[in-house]
Amino acid sequence: MKTIKHSYGADLSWIENFANQFGGKIEDNYIIMPEELQTGTRYFLDCGEGIVAYYVNVKYNKNFRFIQKNDDNDFVGLYYNLTEGEATVSRESTVYDVGRWRYNLSVLDGSLETDYNVKAGSSTFALCIFIKKEKIKTFVREHNITFRDIDLLTDPNRNTIVRFDRMSSESYHLLNDLRKLEVGGSIFNLNLIGTVQMLISNYLKKMASRRIIIQTVNSSDLSNIIASQMYLIDHIGDHFPSITQMANRANMSETKFKNLFKKITGSTANKFFMDNKLLKAKELLESKQLSISQVSDQLSFTNNSYFASKFKENFGLSPKTFIKQL
Amino acid sequence: MKKISHYYSLTPEWQSEFVQKLGAKFIDGKITVIPESMGKGHSYFTQIIPGISVLFIDFTLKIPLKITRNRSDNPLYIFHFDLSEHVNLIKINNKSYEIGSYDKLDLAIIDNQIESSFTPSVNERTIAIRILVDKALLNDFIKKHSKKEEVKPTTKEGQRVFYHYGNIDSNSILLIQSIKNKSIFDLSFEPLLKGISLKLLGNFFNKFYHSQNSKNATDSELEAINKTKEYLLNNLYGLFPSVTFLASMAGMSESKYKILFKKCFNDTPNNLFIKEKMSLAQRLLKSGEFKTITNVLYELNYSKLSYFSSKYFNFFKSRPIDDFVRKQD
Repeated sequence: MKTIKHSYGADLSWIENFANQFGGKIEDNYIIMPEELQTGTRYFLDCGEGIVAYYVNVKYNKNFRFIQKNDDNDFVGLYYNLTEGEATVSRESTVYDVGRWRYNLSVLDGSLETDYNVKAGSSTFALCIFIKKEKIKTFVREHNITFRDIDLLTDPNRNTIVRFDRMSSESYHLLNDLRKLEVGGSIFNLNLIGTVQMLISNYLKKMASRRIIIQTVNSSDLSNIIASQMYLIDHIGDHFPSITQMANRANMSETKFKNLFKKITGSTANKFFMDNKLLKAKELLESKQLSISQVSDQLSFTNNSYFASKFKENFGLSPKTFIKQL
Repeated sequence: MKKISHYYSLTPEWQSEFVQKLGAKFIDGKITVIPESMGKGHSYFTQIIPGISVLFIDFTLKIPLKITRNRSDNPLYIFHFDLSEHVNLIKINNKSYEIGSYDKLDLAIIDNQIESSFTPSVNERTIAIRILVDKALLNDFIKKHSKKEEVKPTTKEGQRVFYHYGNIDSNSILLIQSIKNKSIFDLSFEPLLKGISLKLLGNFFNKFYHSQNSKNATDSELEAINKTKEYLLNNLYGLFPSVTFLASMAGMSESKYKILFKKCFNDTPNNLFIKEKMSLAQRLLKSGEFKTITNVLYELNYSKLSYFSSKYFNFFKSRPIDDFVRKQD
C-alpha cells in the first residue's frame, strides 16, 4: 500500500508536492510517475478563469491511498471518475464506492479532507476539474439565476459541498470522446478546455433543474438500476429486452422500475438504450470499417431506413451525410 | 437593402458601435438583440481564452440586410461555421460564395485584413458560429496552409492574406446541431458555447493535420487483398489465375480489386506474380536439381523456352543458361 498525502487546488501550486510524493517528476504538462507504481498518463492544464483541469488515464500496479488535505478551501472539485476496478472515497467514516458503474461524479468542497483508496489492477480514467468558488458565484449572479441555496453552497463557513452522483450520459460521451484523443499538444488542449467547459455547462444545467439527488435513493435500488444500465450497455447490439424482463431482473415492479430508472438516469429505459445504440452506431461509422447497412444489422435495427431515420432524428443528419463528411 | 458596417476585435469593444448602428438592444456586454423592425433573434459574443473569442449568431430577418466587416489591422482569422438550412452569401474580394446547409460548403476562414460582407437570406433562420482567433496562435497552421493550397490575394501593402472555403466535418456538425436548440439566456449556455467552439477548432485542426494519412480501405478489405497475395505466392508453379478469379476470391469487383491491389503493393497482380515466379525460377536454376533448363521450364508451367528466356533476361539481365547449375549424376 502506497500512501500519498497531497492537496488539490484551482491553481498549479499543488502539482509539485504531488509529484514528489510519488517520486515522480513534472515535464511540460505531464506528471511522470515511476512505472512500477502505475502506468499511463497524468496531464494538467490551466484553463484560465480560475479553472484547472487534471486528466488521469492510468493503471495502478499497487494499492494506493490518497489523503487529500487542501491548503486553500476556496475551490470546488468536480471529479468525473470512470474507474474500472475497486475504488472508494471515504469521508468522516462514510465510505462511497466510486467508479464507472458506481458514483462516477463526485463534487467535493475544497475544505474537506477525503481519503481515496484504489486497488492494484484498477484502471482509472478520470477528469478532475477544480473551480474557484468565487467563479461559480459570479457566474450565477451574472446570469440572474436564483438558486435556493447558492450562498449556502459557496460560503465556506456555513456549508460545504459534498455530493456523490452519476453523470449524465451526455457527459459520459464527452469524456469518451476526449479519451480517444492523443494527449498533449495544442489540439488536445483545445479539446480539453472545450470538454471542461461543456461538462461545467452540463453540471450547471443539472443543478438548475434541481434533479433528484441520488444520495437520497435507497442504495440497493440504486445498484439494481445501475446493474440494469450495465446490462443494457453490454447488450447494445440486441433488441430492447422489454420492461417486464428488466423489472424482473431488478426485483422491482414495472412501475417502480420505470419511475426509478427515469429518476436516476434522466431518461426512460428505452430512450437510454436507443441513445446509446445510436452513439455506438456513430462510433462504428466513424471507424470506417463497416457500411451503413452492416452497422444497422449489427445493432439489430429492423431495417436500414428505420436506422437512418432514427439516426437523423437524433443527430440532425443522415448516416450517409455523416460518413461523407468525416 | 439596409447596410451595416463594423469591425472585429478579440475584445468586446467592437460591439458597442455595431449595436448602435443596428439600433439593437444590448445585454450584459454579450447579447445583442435584433430590433423587431428588422427581424427576430440575437447574437452572443464572448471571449473564451486569451486569443480566442466566439460570436454565435441566431436570427431570422424580415428585411434584407448586408453586414460588411471592414478590414482592420487586428491580426485575426475568422472561422465562419454556417449551419443555416438555406443559402447565405459571403462576399470576399468581390466574389460571392454561397454558404450554409449541409450539402453545400459551410465553412469559411477569412483573414481579418480582407474585407468581407455577409448577406443572410430573408425570412429564414440563420445560424452561424464565428470564431475569432489571434494569428499568433496559428503560426504553424498558416505556414502549412499557404503551402498547401488556396487563393492568396495580396493586400496593398503586399502582405499575404488568405481565405479558405470548405466543408465542416460531421462531428463538428453534430456539435453545432446540439447548440442550435439551446436558449442563449440559459445559465449553461456560455460554457457550452465556449466548449463547443474550442472543440470545433480542435476538430478542424485535427482534420487539417491528419487528413493525409487517412486510409480508404477497411480492415476486412485489406485482409482479403492480403489473402489473394498469399494465394498467388503459394501457387507460383501454376499459371496466373486471372484477375477475375482473384477478385471473386476477395469478394470485390475486378476494377476495385485492381485499384486496391495496386494501392497496397504498388504493382499489378500479374506483375507481382511474374516477379515472384522469376525469382523462384532463378532459385530452381541455381539449385542444381535439374538436368536441363527445359525441366525447370516445365516445372514452372512454361511451354516455350524462348519466351521464358526473354522474360528471364528482362528481369535479371542475364540468360538462364548463365545461371544454370546442372544436376550431377
